[in-house]
Amino acid sequence: MFCTPLVNFEEKLNSSLGEFAGWKMPMSYSSYQEEHLAVRTESAFFDLSHMGRLKIKGKIEEIENLVAKKVADAPQYSMIGPTAFLSDKAGFIDDVMTYKVSESEFLVVTNAINREKVISWIRKNSSLDVEDLTFGLVMIAIQGKKVWDYIEKPNLQPLQFKLNVNFEGQEVFLLSRSGWTGEDGVEFWAKPEAAEVILNKLVSKGVKPAGLMARDSLRQEMGFVLYGEDIGEEVNPVEARYWVYSLEKEFIGKQALVEILKSGVDKLRIGIKLPKNLRVIPRNGTRIKIMGEEIGKVTSSSYSPFLSRVIGMGYVNSRHFLLGGNADVEIRGRDYNIKLSDFPLLK
Amino acid sequence: MTEFKVGKYVLRNDLLYTETDEWIKIEEDNATVGITDYAQKKLRDIVGVDLPKKGQKVSSGEVVAVVESVKAAADIYTPLSGEIVEVNENLISSPELINKDPYGNGWLFKIKLSNKEETKKLLTPDMYTERVKGD
Repeated sequence: MFCTPLVNFEEKLNSSLGEFAGWKMPMSYSSYQEEHLAVRTESAFFDLSHMGRLKIKGKIEEIENLVAKKVADAPQYSMIGPTAFLSDKAGFIDDVMTYKVSESEFLVVTNAINREKVISWIRKNSSLDVEDLTFGLVMIAIQGKKVWDYIEKPNLQPLQFKLNVNFEGQEVFLLSRSGWTGEDGVEFWAKPEAAEVILNKLVSKGVKPAGLMARDSLRQEMGFVLYGEDIGEEVNPVEARYWVYSLEKEFIGKQALVEILKSGVDKLRIGIKLPKNLRVIPRNGTRIKIMGEEIGKVTSSSYSPFLSRVIGMGYVNSRHFLLGGNADVEIRGRDYNIKLSDFPLLK
Repeated sequence: MTEFKVGKYVLRNDLLYTETDEWIKIEEDNATVGITDYAQKKLRDIVGVDLPKKGQKVSSGEVVAVVESVKAAADIYTPLSGEIVEVNENLISSPELINKDPYGNGWLFKIKLSNKEETKKLLTPDMYTERVKGD
């Protein structure tokens, strides 16, 4: 199992470690609920060193052929994403963020679980040079409603990034205005020693350390998918309502995707909300029913301390895509009422 | 001092325990049941609880409650047989009490015992110490 290089630093902050996608990472510190609320009301940071980070170099035509969204026209130092690597059948190999460094060099962030698979897939489908940066650098996200009260605001528009810059007094390899929580903020990649200096400074200013559990509940409020739970190779972007492609160009999986768009889909991703203060969690695989008839299954669920209710997402038959309507989830043999909702669930 | 620590876990020497991490406080013919500090720390943030019904007859080893954490739903076994005479209603709206005060305000239910002999099968504080030691 891999382990974040910041483990000793984080243990001093009272981290509770757990396993995620083959990595030992902080799951929470004090309480995921407090960490979640810190992001929605103040500011918090996450260690994301488990995420795969790759540098790919070569002909842009080859890169374009791999990525479902158009990258050629994107400005330099901008992020294209989320986008995806798709299979021939238009299933998700992975959903990724791509960073355009130049016409021939891109950085890619993969899901931790898919890093090796993506490297093999790129090598199989192109002659691009792939360098794995995952283990030399840590990745940190600082996110929050009041994030700029705590850190220097970089001269970056959302989804722009810079390389080899000074951030909070330290050299970082990459600084981007991005995140995955629905709040503003930055992500940076840096050597562990530099990251630790920055994080110590953040802690002394009152930025809360947050673990992957808070990240999970935050992303569910926004309706963001998690690979392995909500999407996978058996799911296509149309079913997931995850608009990660550009049809004006060619890429692996496009032909299948076009066929899917023409024929329509049998299932669609939908949000769910349970009544306020009903404290049961429909886990992955829980049946969604209407009048006793199964219409779909839950893929993710969590208690949202911000909304004071259990939320989540799943897939229902496309004929039952009844936004705003009611259904039931079956938990331990009992049915509980849910509302079928659109994303973000936060509104 | 009834409270003592084994590593990072708090135990009490006035309670009995189970292999499935419930604690039991015996008071005459009644027993109060909760989950241990070790169990709540393993489950992490507790966000919900399904409690038994008052008046429900239960047999030792039976699943009578469920504690929902963000991580998973954990079955709670009644360590003793009898009738549920009280449940901790406060947990319905504030399940985090189990995290904050597992041996106090985070108790789960009380049973009027039908077979007091069963208490002999429970773990003593020393035996439970062995279970959590080294974890």
